Amino acid sequence: MNPIVKLVARRTMQAIPLLFVTITINFIIIKSAPGDPTHVLLGETANEEFIQAMRAKFGLDKPLYVQYITYVSRVVQGDLGYSLLKSQSVTSLILGRFPATVLLVSTSMFIAILLGILLGVAASKRPYSLIDNLASGISVFGVSTPTFWFGQMLLIVFAIYLGLFPVAGMTTAKAELTGLEYLLDVVHHLALPASALAAFHLGFVTRLTRASMLEVLGQDFIVTAYSKGLNDRTVTYKHALRNALLPVTTYTGVSFAMLFAGAVLIETVFSWPGMGRLLYDSLRMRDYPVVLGIFVFISLIVTISNILVDVIYGVLDPRIRT
Amino acid sequence: MKWQAENTTLPFRRVVRFWKRYRRNHAAVLGLFIFVAICVVAVAAPWITWYSPLKTDVGRPLISPTADHPFGTDDLGRDVYSDVIHSTRTSLSVGLVAAAVSTLIGIFVGALSGYYGGKIDDFLMRTTEIFLTLPRFILALIIVYVFGTSISNIVFTIAIVSWPSTARLLRAEFLTNKEREYVEAARTLGCSPREIMFSEILPNAIFPVVVNSSLEVATAILTEAGLSFLGVGDPNVPSWGLMLNNAQSFLRIAWWMAAFPGIMLFLTCMSLNLVGDGLNDYFNPRLRER
Repeated sequence: MNPIVKLVARRTMQAIPLLFVTITINFIIIKSAPGDPTHVLLGETANEEFIQAMRAKFGLDKPLYVQYITYVSRVVQGDLGYSLLKSQSVTSLILGRFPATVLLVSTSMFIAILLGILLGVAASKRPYSLIDNLASGISVFGVSTPTFWFGQMLLIVFAIYLGLFPVAGMTTAKAELTGLEYLLDVVHHLALPASALAAFHLGFVTRLTRASMLEVLGQDFIVTAYSKGLNDRTVTYKHALRNALLPVTTYTGVSFAMLFAGAVLIETVFSWPGMGRLLYDSLRMRDYPVVLGIFVFISLIVTISNILVDVIYGVLDPRIRT
Repeated sequence: MKWQAENTTLPFRRVVRFWKRYRRNHAAVLGLFIFVAICVVAVAAPWITWYSPLKTDVGRPLISPTADHPFGTDDLGRDVYSDVIHSTRTSLSVGLVAAAVSTLIGIFVGALSGYYGGKIDDFLMRTTEIFLTLPRFILALIIVYVFGTSISNIVFTIAIVSWPSTARLLRAEFLTNKEREYVEAARTLGCSPREIMFSEILPNAIFPVVVNSSLEVATAILTEAGLSFLGVGDPNVPSWGLMLNNAQSFLRIAWWMAAFPGIMLFLTCMSLNLVGDGLNDYFNPRLRER
């Protein structure tokens, strides 16, 4: 059987118990919370009968394992409960906001990886030169800067004082744009948040690429490549970079989770209509089910993306396909 | 004539040796200097500020930096400068304590896992895998949200979500060291497992953990700031994250409310990162000196 198919199958098999554990952890957290969910819904002064009726309705009077099974079966079917404040199911709320977050996260990842690799490669080719020190400086700045503060600074400088970019949101409200104009409008709104979110990862990827490239460039097969008469560009990109990219790929998988966390902060700063902002609003308004639903959702997404990264890594590096 | 192998050098000599080598990385020296300066600021907070950070209405609200209020005032008339300085204490203590606790737990778990292997290793590694797949910040967010936002809760939570990476790191080092001859020699001499783990292997395995811990302090500080920014921090404790949360509504008219806390956050994290890099360079004789 095709080794890649085998790899995918095996990783998926390994992931299923992990997904279950994630759901279980969420259940444990929900149940460990001090206080009774019905109090959250009804307030402290509701009468006893009503509280009992609510508890029966939510199944809170059933034994714990029954509640657990109900919970797990609901989550597996995609039912994450109902929002306390908006009259929508949690799942539909999340799915409505999800695309905006995906847009933000993937753009940031794209920027970070592309620029990071370019900078890292350039820095590794000429160690200790100006470009190397510049890249190292950028990487230290990127890694140390708090994401949300950087977003705020970008907002202040570029949107408020220079007026080059919009201050909030994903689209210009009431503008009724379509087609290309709409796309450009979104891009215009996306620029600052994506840059802020990308900063940390740009720094990390630059440093990682540089270190990895330095290691690869010191190996014998590079000398062979040069002595074969291949030009510099081919050797750098086709031979060296291919091998140097492996740690970057691993990091990309890890960073996906961090990007979601960062997205929560950035979406708050820029009022970006994504899942992160939904989380912030729900936290503030104490919309309990939404908060926990988002947690489950993000955990599942991250677990799935880890599987994907493992598979991609297996494709890139045949040595680890065991 | 007594002949004794001098394997214990005076502490002072050790420090001098360390410094001579650490000094080679100029950025790391700068980082250490900045970090020490920040620690001094934190300790000296009551003496270098003249307004209480939590006292509202000490000045007209929302005025830009002046001599009396070097960083301006916020929307409630609080002095931003005092708030920033006092928050330094919070962040540093949270960062250092959380990193220390998580490192201790991580060392303990990693040592046991790496040395004994087998079922213990399996179980412990499964546990760490769970923690490592879930996004750290979001997990911390949920735990703090559900269990309460007091500052001790926050420190504890950050420690809980951070120890797995230390454990993994130490376990890897233990696995490498376990098969070496000096361990076999120690075992032959009759050392107990505890002695072997903590007196023999650990001093050799600890170096990556030291580097990692310094970076953990920075991460812990950033996590606390992030939690406070989202409103799940301790509202009674001065914190840069809390200040940035407050500043969010006033970005248009009071840039100083956001700029100064953030600059301090940035300097703290940057200095810690540089120190971590410096320690990394110190422990790994690199081929940088070409």
